[in-house]
Amino acid sequence: MAPSSQPRRAAVIGGNRIPFARANGTYAKAFNQDMLTAALDGLVARFGLAGESLGEVAAGAVLKHSRDFNLTRESVLGSSLAATTPAYDVQQACGTGLEATVLVANKVALRQVDSAVAGGADTASDAPIAVSEGLRETLLALNRARTAGQRAKALARIRPAHLVPDVPRNVEPRTGLSMGEHMAQTAARWAVSRLAQDELAAASHRNLAAAYERGFFDDLVTPFAGLSRDENLRPDSSVEKLARLKPVFGKGEGATMTAGNSTPLTDGASVVLLSSDEWAAERGLPVLAYVVDAQTAAVDYVTGQEGLLMAPAYALPRLLERHGMKLQDFELVEIHEAFASTVLCTLAAWESEDFCRTRLGLEAPIGELDRSRLNVNGSSLAAGHPFAATGGRIVASLAKMLHEKGTGARGLISICAAGGQGVMAILEAA
Amino acid sequence: MAVTVLRHSPSLPRLFARAALSSGGRGGELPHRALRLLDVPVDRSNLLAYQRSCHLTGGDVLPHAYPHLLGFPLQVQLMADRSFPLPLPGLVHLENQVTVYRRLTADDRLDIRVQAADLRPHPKGATVDLLTDVEVAGERVWQGRSTYLRRGVRTPQAPPRPTGPELPDGPAAAVFRVPAGQGRAYARVSHDVNPIHLHPLTARALGFPRAIAHGMWSYARTLAILADATAGPSASHVWFARPVLLPSTVELVAGGRLDQPEGVVLGLRSAKDATVRHLTLRVTSR
Repeated sequence: MAPSSQPRRAAVIGGNRIPFARANGTYAKAFNQDMLTAALDGLVARFGLAGESLGEVAAGAVLKHSRDFNLTRESVLGSSLAATTPAYDVQQACGTGLEATVLVANKVALRQVDSAVAGGADTASDAPIAVSEGLRETLLALNRARTAGQRAKALARIRPAHLVPDVPRNVEPRTGLSMGEHMAQTAARWAVSRLAQDELAAASHRNLAAAYERGFFDDLVTPFAGLSRDENLRPDSSVEKLARLKPVFGKGEGATMTAGNSTPLTDGASVVLLSSDEWAAERGLPVLAYVVDAQTAAVDYVTGQEGLLMAPAYALPRLLERHGMKLQDFELVEIHEAFASTVLCTLAAWESEDFCRTRLGLEAPIGELDRSRLNVNGSSLAAGHPFAATGGRIVASLAKMLHEKGTGARGLISICAAGGQGVMAILEAA
Repeated sequence: MAVTVLRHSPSLPRLFARAALSSGGRGGELPHRALRLLDVPVDRSNLLAYQRSCHLTGGDVLPHAYPHLLGFPLQVQLMADRSFPLPLPGLVHLENQVTVYRRLTADDRLDIRVQAADLRPHPKGATVDLLTDVEVAGERVWQGRSTYLRRGVRTPQAPPRPTGPELPDGPAAAVFRVPAGQGRAYARVSHDVNPIHLHPLTARALGFPRAIAHGMWSYARTLAILADATAGPSASHVWFARPVLLPSTVELVAGGRLDQPEGVVLGLRSAKDATVRHLTLRVTSR
């Protein structure tokens, strides 16, 4: 391999997001494209990229209208980036934003691009509503019809029941169970207590509020539609208040998951700017961190062999082995709070000798994580979780936090995703 | 045994009508007769409709229980005939077994043979097995055994049939709604127009409070959770318990592993009352 084609480090320059809004709240009428474009334009403004042609933009949305088939490219065309910036859509459920980051980081590393943006947007408010399967088949038959007789025959097949629309449900297609119901089963299996979940949720709100107070998000968030902070944030949240909520997932006595210790449906968008060292230096842009490595994993959750959201637990040992690291070597760890119990089950699994031996094939457990390193500026329970936008939120925040820690500090990102998947990445402070 | 080769697949509505009119005065031994249908092509549009109905991925590979659908008209023809000792109306599908010897595709031309066997007393009446053998170019590729119960003269001293494995308890691996029109929708796919599946009124006339889902549909829909794993060499045995009344919501429970000798045990139970068991199913790979 010629020296010029040796892989290089992919740098995280910074990020931008719009505040996240609760579903059917401030962004109720915003399209994914509106939000992704706003997040992009905020990034462009922050780093002086107006009119620039970037290597590429990769982003996506989980809940997507068919009209948004080219969501990211359309957002680029509507942004102040040069129209010559290529773009493509990525979708890996809640892993979308982080997976997009890994994809563009790899392209930077392989010298295929010098600069790139990764991100995602999601709206649970402006959800794509489809016509029923019966009506859809009839309309398609009508479209294929060539004679008046065939058209009449197709139309005659429409039934009143066909007019009930098909609203997207937050369920796994193969099991019909919502993510919360799946998580409730895993939480019960790991005997995660209600108190521990409420404590994690309260800490998330407290930490996010404190981060806003000290201006941590000043260069990470651009106001949108009159919102300047995450709409879901409850600075005065407490374990006592959370304890009053009724469980919404799980059944009977053992149900522990409430609206307070589960993420709400949210609208929002986020983007991250990555580049080569040279590209950043040419523009005088400081580098916050580097993308060191990434790992995805998936589990067989369909027949209940493993919990739907437990895949990240399986990704970690592969990453640790590649880098000769221990979990305890990371100065900061970001575990996406799909539910408080997701974080707690993942930590419990890593502490369990039995799980680490039988499921991960390890001789010793991965061990305990110092909780003072976990989600130190809050996470999805407080900020909310617009599915595809969560990865970009975490990458940008962690890169900045690591930069504050000093050169060489390493951080870990763990994001679980629908379909029994997980995405992990390691960042290192520049 | 006398073997009759049919020219084409018989019409089920006509057979059901004939069986209903000739149900009186049945009895005696099983006929020594087999029916065959040769060189049967797979109708791809019917295959796709079946796959859609049972939540399987559309494609050319025949699902585990699909050949039953092609052999079923022969079963009905055999049972509708006056020579068959049990009257067809009111027969209850008790159990079903399937063995897939090799993966079949829509390009295979199937030779199907159906015969009855094992007429035996049951504590609640009598049971009979209908055997379906499928060959492709002389090679055995698929076998089915459907066990039906005729409620009638009770034989309390008859040995009870071995029951299936215990239903796995614990939380539902999946939950799904079975809509009111499910019976009619599956009847369009299977051509099985048994009135107990079609409408609450026709079902009530035959003693059911509401229309009930086809057992073979519930069976296939349950197997769908294993996706493609049962399309290749595999065996399954389903024990039907309480029918799925339409509409209703059912929970699927699962235990075991396909790579273990005991295989996977799947069950369907009512979402409203976990003690109401609809079916138990054991699947093993071969």
